[in-house]
Amino acid sequence: MATESHSAAAPAHAAAAAHADPSAHAPQPSAWPILLALGIGVFATAFFLVATGFNALPLLVLAGILLVLIPALGWATTIAAERRHQDPNYTFAILRRGFLYFLLSEGAIFGSFFAHNLYIRFGHATTWPPLGAPRLETSLPAIGTLLLVLSSFTYHWSHHAFIGGKRALAKNWLLATIILGVVFLAIQGYDWGFLKAFDKFTYSQGVFGSQFYWMTGFHGLHVCVGLLFLVLVYWRMERGEMNQTYHFSLTAAEYYWHFVDIVWIFLFFVIYLL
Amino acid sequence: MSSAEVALAAAPEAKHYTGLLDWLTTTDHKKIGLMYLIFSLVNAWVGGLFAGMVRLRLYDPNWNFIKPEFFNQMLTMHATVMIFMVVMPAFVGFGNYLVPLMIGARDMAFPKLNAFSFWMLIPPSLMMYASFFTVGGSAQGGWWSYPPLSGAEFSPGAGESLWCLAIILLGISSIMGAVNFLVTIADMRAPGMGWMQMPLFVWATEITAWLLLLAVPILSGVLVMLLSDRIFHTGFFQPGLGGDPLLYQHLFWFFGHPEVYIMILPAFGIMSHVLPAFAHKPVFGYKGMVYALASIGVLGFMVWAHHMFTSGISPEAQIFFSTTSLIIAVPTGVKVYSWLASMWGGTIDFSAAMKFGLGFIGLFVIGGLNGVVLAIVPFDIAVHNTYFIVAHLHFVLFGGSVMGLMAATYFWFPKMTGRRLSEKLGNWHFWLFFIGFLWVFTPMHILGIEGMPRRVAFYRPEFTDLNRFISLGFLLLLAGGLIFTYNVIHSIRHGEPTPEPDPWKINDVQQSLEWMVPSPPPAWNFDEVPVYEEG
Repeated sequence: MATESHSAAAPAHAAAAAHADPSAHAPQPSAWPILLALGIGVFATAFFLVATGFNALPLLVLAGILLVLIPALGWATTIAAERRHQDPNYTFAILRRGFLYFLLSEGAIFGSFFAHNLYIRFGHATTWPPLGAPRLETSLPAIGTLLLVLSSFTYHWSHHAFIGGKRALAKNWLLATIILGVVFLAIQGYDWGFLKAFDKFTYSQGVFGSQFYWMTGFHGLHVCVGLLFLVLVYWRMERGEMNQTYHFSLTAAEYYWHFVDIVWIFLFFVIYLL
Repeated sequence: MSSAEVALAAAPEAKHYTGLLDWLTTTDHKKIGLMYLIFSLVNAWVGGLFAGMVRLRLYDPNWNFIKPEFFNQMLTMHATVMIFMVVMPAFVGFGNYLVPLMIGARDMAFPKLNAFSFWMLIPPSLMMYASFFTVGGSAQGGWWSYPPLSGAEFSPGAGESLWCLAIILLGISSIMGAVNFLVTIADMRAPGMGWMQMPLFVWATEITAWLLLLAVPILSGVLVMLLSDRIFHTGFFQPGLGGDPLLYQHLFWFFGHPEVYIMILPAFGIMSHVLPAFAHKPVFGYKGMVYALASIGVLGFMVWAHHMFTSGISPEAQIFFSTTSLIIAVPTGVKVYSWLASMWGGTIDFSAAMKFGLGFIGLFVIGGLNGVVLAIVPFDIAVHNTYFIVAHLHFVLFGGSVMGLMAATYFWFPKMTGRRLSEKLGNWHFWLFFIGFLWVFTPMHILGIEGMPRRVAFYRPEFTDLNRFISLGFLLLLAGGLIFTYNVIHSIRHGEPTPEPDPWKINDVQQSLEWMVPSPPPAWNFDEVPVYEEG
């Protein structure tokens, strides 16, 4: 073929091709990407209509959510199926790198909120917390922090047990992680409700409230996504869809969960303690 | 892990769709790259016509059929479309098409994510254009969208909110694309190909992807805050609630300046292929070029406040950001001298691609030197917010990025389609663009130094002559664009066929893998994946 006819170039060509028919290496078509993009578009439009006070059809919101969730799940299933006929170590390595880079960009989004908080506090505000803002109660969030940190450990033990072949143990530790995550969210919800009901602390009364609710809320959203992720992993463990070689979702969920944990430690320090 | 013993399941039968369904579901990096380029060309016409409306209004501000409000919309959307929907997708398109070929890979690391990145451009684009039909029209706050102008009080319509939302969604596309490029380049290189054996366009894409990965999320975050201020009445940038509009500028430009390099570094990479190719020489100073690219990428995060010298930052900060901005001239100079040295003593073939490449050097150096003087605080304060800035940014973005894109199109079109673009039409296209560009943007320096403010639908009577002269020059650019578009559409079917792998006959001096496969390449790129020998 043409590649050989220009062998003056630096690369020498492999003598034995990995696969007899090169067309088998062309990537498979998939409808999930375009459907997911459509779903995100529909969901964003529905969100926009609701947020700006239009009477958006509840059907549109529902359609948006379904159009996001179904393609996302279908996509994940396709990847899991495709990996069964690819080099598992290699696909694991590239998926892991991609996921870590994605988390880096997530960290940068949180970074913009932290930068906002620290700039206002040290470069702009005369008093902090501003006059009229409540003194934040720290004991309950501190308990939540401890539980979330603990959940990082329970997840690690779950991962460890699964690699060691102890599936029942792995499932129990995973369940413990999910419960700790839910309790953390419940504590946050209670904290929000308390601040709103008794301290009349809202997101629109001042920059401190805006930062508090957005930063904890955006983090809480990540905890919710992380919990969905954990439930998916539990379900796949339950159905025996993972083994010692194929368990990328277990690893990805672990990175995600640790990420959510680490962000919270910074958040707790900056918002509640500093 | 004991993966060696795991028996791999047999690959399933390859699915084949045809026609429209094929394009909608494709995960082939070459088809996705082409779709990016088509998307970009279509939007270039929209963004270009927006610029035409701006020039029409400025031909004579007394003609009030373009109202000042509509002028502001055109101005804002011209910049938004050109940056986010033309230049960025075009470079991602070339990157998509070329990077896997150049590193000897059969596709990107995540082909489906790649398709998603492309399709994720469509909903926000529709949202952006739909905003014209809301009450009050599209966003009017400029592409930088500073509060309080972009806040709920001064931009009450839905247009500004839709703008924020659309840019946040476009960010998803950019971030996913960046992840894909970074993993592809790190893990998918042909066996034995070291980092310092990668072609320079791949290096440029690598650095650009890092900038996208780390800068675009900052924009997403800051626009979430702005949108929240508008819709939920939070106080992030509202002084009455303890927020600070100046902080918006800091965060925006912390994204915005790396964004400038996101739009020029790939063009640098393209130049390092085109200029040596038509001088029939290998590229000069490869290592220096890589280090220059990387240092521009790093420095790009340390210069953002040079956009804010008049916004009220401390003198110490002004000196710091002025100095870091001036330092960027050093690696940029390294690149320009390397391109010149790459051509030195060569036999230069003045093809259309080469003309655009040479045009790039001339125009970009003028734009870059403007940048150096603008980095000096007293001069910047004198011409801030005048047409001098408009001239500068168009010299680097049109004279730099767009000229680079044109050179890339003439250079790689035979690879992508198996046919050559017409050189005769290319010649017309180049001279219309080159002369039209200088016609339009050179006088803006004079207008700026004389004090004509930018972004305003009116001007003092003494600026009339130059403004009319500039507006007439737009017609040259329009003609060039028409010829280019005709050339592309015509040559796809009727151009001179170039089925051979190496239509420019450069493989004896440059060893870039894309010229070693047929034109256009098969879906699997390489019959046998090339193997590099160590060293």
